[in-house]
Amino acid sequence: MKFSERWLRAFVNPQENAEQLAHALTMAGLEVEEMHAAAPPFSGIVVGEIRAFERHPNADRLNVCQVDAGQPQLLNIVCGAPNVAIGMKVPCAMIGACLPPSADGDGKPFEIKRAKMRGVESEGMLCSARELGLSDDHTGLLPLPPAATPGTDVRALLDLDDTVFTVKLTPNRADALSVLGIAREVAALTGASLCEPDCTPVAASVPDRLPVTVHAADLCGRFSGRLVKGVNARAATPQWMKDRLERAGQRPISALVDISNYIMLELGRPSHIFDADKIAGGHLHVRWGSAGEEVKLLNGQTVAVDDSVGVIADAHGVEALAGIMGGDATAVTLDTTSIFIEAAFWWPASIQGRARRFNFTTEAGHRFERGVDFATTVAHIERITALVLDICGGQAGPIDDQTLALPARDPVRMRVERCRKVIGIPLDKAAMQAALERLRLPVRDLGDRLEVTPPPFRFDLEIEEDLIEEVARMVGFDNIPALPPKARAAMLVTPETRRSLFDLRDILAGRDYQEVVNYSFVDAQWERDLAGNAAPVALLNPIASQMGVMRTSLFGGLVANLAYNLNRKQPRVRVFEVGRVFRSDARVADGPLTVAGIDQPVMIGAIAFGPAHEEEWDVKARAVDFFDLKGDLEALADGAHALRFEAAAHPALHPGRSARVLADDTPIGWLGELHPKWVAGFDLPAAPVLFEVDTAALAQAPLPAFVEPSKFPPVMRDIALVVDAGTPAGQVLATLKSTADARVSSIVLFDQYRPTKPGGDLGETEKSLAFRVVMQDTQRTLTDAEAESMKQDLVDAVVKSHRARLRA
Amino acid sequence: MSDLDSIVGQAREQFAAIGDAAQLEEAKARFLGKSGQVTELLKGLAKLPVEERKARGEAINRVKNAIEAALADRREALADARMQQKLAAEALDVTLPGRSAQRGGLHPVMRTQRRVEQIFRSIGFDIAEGPEIETDWFNFTALNSPENHPARSMQDTFYVDARDSAGKQLLLRTHTSPMQVRYASLHAAKHRGHETMAPIKVIAPGRTYRVDSDATHSPMFHQVEGLWIDEDISFADLKGVFLNFMRAFFEDDNIVARFRPSYFPFTEPSAEIDIAFSSGPMKGRWLEVSGSGQVHPNVVRNFGLDPERHIGFAFGSGLERLTMLRYGIGDLRLFYEGDLRFLRQFN
Repeated sequence: MKFSERWLRAFVNPQENAEQLAHALTMAGLEVEEMHAAAPPFSGIVVGEIRAFERHPNADRLNVCQVDAGQPQLLNIVCGAPNVAIGMKVPCAMIGACLPPSADGDGKPFEIKRAKMRGVESEGMLCSARELGLSDDHTGLLPLPPAATPGTDVRALLDLDDTVFTVKLTPNRADALSVLGIAREVAALTGASLCEPDCTPVAASVPDRLPVTVHAADLCGRFSGRLVKGVNARAATPQWMKDRLERAGQRPISALVDISNYIMLELGRPSHIFDADKIAGGHLHVRWGSAGEEVKLLNGQTVAVDDSVGVIADAHGVEALAGIMGGDATAVTLDTTSIFIEAAFWWPASIQGRARRFNFTTEAGHRFERGVDFATTVAHIERITALVLDICGGQAGPIDDQTLALPARDPVRMRVERCRKVIGIPLDKAAMQAALERLRLPVRDLGDRLEVTPPPFRFDLEIEEDLIEEVARMVGFDNIPALPPKARAAMLVTPETRRSLFDLRDILAGRDYQEVVNYSFVDAQWERDLAGNAAPVALLNPIASQMGVMRTSLFGGLVANLAYNLNRKQPRVRVFEVGRVFRSDARVADGPLTVAGIDQPVMIGAIAFGPAHEEEWDVKARAVDFFDLKGDLEALADGAHALRFEAAAHPALHPGRSARVLADDTPIGWLGELHPKWVAGFDLPAAPVLFEVDTAALAQAPLPAFVEPSKFPPVMRDIALVVDAGTPAGQVLATLKSTADARVSSIVLFDQYRPTKPGGDLGETEKSLAFRVVMQDTQRTLTDAEAESMKQDLVDAVVKSHRARLRA
Repeated sequence: MSDLDSIVGQAREQFAAIGDAAQLEEAKARFLGKSGQVTELLKGLAKLPVEERKARGEAINRVKNAIEAALADRREALADARMQQKLAAEALDVTLPGRSAQRGGLHPVMRTQRRVEQIFRSIGFDIAEGPEIETDWFNFTALNSPENHPARSMQDTFYVDARDSAGKQLLLRTHTSPMQVRYASLHAAKHRGHETMAPIKVIAPGRTYRVDSDATHSPMFHQVEGLWIDEDISFADLKGVFLNFMRAFFEDDNIVARFRPSYFPFTEPSAEIDIAFSSGPMKGRWLEVSGSGQVHPNVVRNFGLDPERHIGFAFGSGLERLTMLRYGIGDLRLFYEGDLRFLRQFN
């Protein structure tokens, strides 16, 4: 909502200056977003009348003008404007005048000095609108009203010492979508008196009427209208009205349109003016639209309506979208002579969302969907009529007014005690009542409660809290103390076994990974390529196509992070992310923290590329590899789970270097080297290694359970096995562990060997695995014989299960 | 007796001149060996008259003890010197860098989230997280924002090509407020049938989405929702809690907050919260940090509670905004670029 201070002060004129008013409005919830002067500062500009001019002797495009600027002598002024004319009144900058700084200048005011232009003395400057900073118009001199007296200060003449306010209104405050509405608020805040608009009835001078039938009371609760004959649509809009419209951000168009817009801005009353001669059949129908109907609107757009959209129709068809926008066919033009002025009450629910469906918004629709005063349609038509007759002439017919159904204004009761409880301070009843009455709300004192009947311009007062809010606003939020509550000192219990997402983040950060936050929506191609997902959950209204679908994997973002940093010459990149992925999954039902059909697990994923360690003075450099990340992942799971890894293929990963990650036999994610296809696709110099797993699997760690350490010495045995090169070491280890009895306290793989050339004790398709077994009894020292026997059991098991042999 | 004194003197002198253990043993023999000087003196005792013998014997023994002591001192000194030499040879250049000292770190917005969690935990708030693809009910309707209501256009919503159980289009949550309803309903259900209900005190941080992208808006951002419902939690309490939260977060007791009336469908009275610092580059400017208010009675009903009995406040703050103010970051887009040179500054 944009309006000028002068306009506002025509309704309420408190002592507060513009700054103070802005602060008061902001602190009352009508946030003043911006305030600026209606015109930039300038001085020394007066009305000048061009008495004579002649071509500059040395320049074709310049004229030398004789200007009456109210001085005893005419001024000699050189001017290049094309629209110079004898008798024209224009802004004249006198010697010593200061013009506003030019847009591309140094920000300093431009001072007018006596100067010679191509040899001719110039005693001032004639100005365009742009030179005065009033508009962008630089096509010629700004024409001033012919009646202006030479020498008059232009600022005063054009009423330029004004301030434009831009107020950001919240959707509940429909009543403040007008200068009058803001004035009501200012009156309440400052105590200044409100000057009601003049809506003196205009008596009918012709009997003409236009019949209107309202077919839908749930669309239109009240319809008022009047014919005016014999108007001159070409009449000029008065300057004061143009100024106010322009300062409110509304471009003047023509007198009739301007009057309608003016009343909308001033009184919050959207109205529509039809060209009465173009209404086919001379009868209007207000009804819901029906499928198949179309209307070409004032903005040139043709829209199709249906039975959820209200229309005004005539014998020809739909002529307007009710409460939103008029139609092209019945719009007033400069040739219009007969008009029908309409002011109606449209139910908010019948307007809400309709304009948005057609992808536009209108000032009228904006107001009606929030609620417009239903009591004043006739009064406002009177005001519009008065302006029309005044500006365009004509003869008014009688007003027709039909009321079908209006919003009930049930009294709202506020308990004094409840108000105190919600606000939190011991306000007395009288203060509450005074606050409500300042807002022009009729209040009844019912003892322990106050009753308010909401006026027809308020659509936001329906329940007790609505009144409490008004009391709090008028008391001033600043006057409510900041009191930290007294609360029971109940302890907050965090289960010791829970590992938070921050615990997980700390583990990866401690292992030299940097956290990133990537968008949850990604390029559909990443989903296809890196997740093998041809049918991701897609956004219906993405801001860009590369952010079009919801990710099912963190991989795409991580690879992009790598590419981004490589492009910035970062040789070593290790990043991780914690975030949700989104999978269509019919098994997911609605629950306290779930949405049916969409699985949204929180994943943790990481990528590493480049040297395994930062360059160091005595560490041999090597590239990070699969087993580095496997170690990082195992460290992440440590305490929660012993992870299991099985070779499996994943669309993003190198088929021979990728593993499905399992916790307790449930797949929780993937680990592997990026597939060479994507290494090339992302233009990476080498393959990074990445993993991602579901954090749910890592969220619980068992409570530590104490076991008495053995007092007896451990016995160690090494087992060197030869197996087929294709036998996974993890399976051999698993066999050993499942065979081992309770006295085996650990089995560790400490060496793997594959011959690089033939001729040793191993065949070409064999490898050797060496395990260290630690055995310890809690009750006594193990004998050699026992240790050997235990070792033999282990060896027998792997010989049997994996066709292993002992290495000689 | 001067002969005896001079023997001790000689011994000390000779021992001191020796820098080697073997030579020291040879020198020892010269005094204490079979034919060493002290041994010779002892042998000479027999020739003395009985009455002199005792005194002379004691004097010689003192000499012997003194020489042995000198010998031990010298042995220790030599061992010390050897040790010193060995240690000097083993000395390290302690100024060489330590090995594998690198650590990564948390994203600055996550750092902020953790601080916010810690601050609210300290006054007994639980932490909850929930779904980001949401239903119309939780994101809007349950929060008193019915379909077609103009308040919905305050937020530009991303919709996805899937529908909820009621047939309505699913969406990306536009705020963390759905978690108010999810958490509070769960809490209320847990206490149903009980005489009293433990207060609802929770913060819900997480990702949120709006159709908006420029230097000051990101289509994805983070909010933290706060909710405190009990039998008597007022607007004045909201002011107190939030002011203290800001002072704790910025570690600045001079921060002032101002509450401006505003409108959110799910709170009433509603307030925008601005804060101002008393020093630093932002001194004196009002900075919008949060929306807040007393939870609307319709929303309390949607929690499954009776608004006559349970009242309280909710607030929602942007974590990016808090992070930018805390560290003086000027451009929102830096948070989502994944630039290591930026991210490492917060480790």
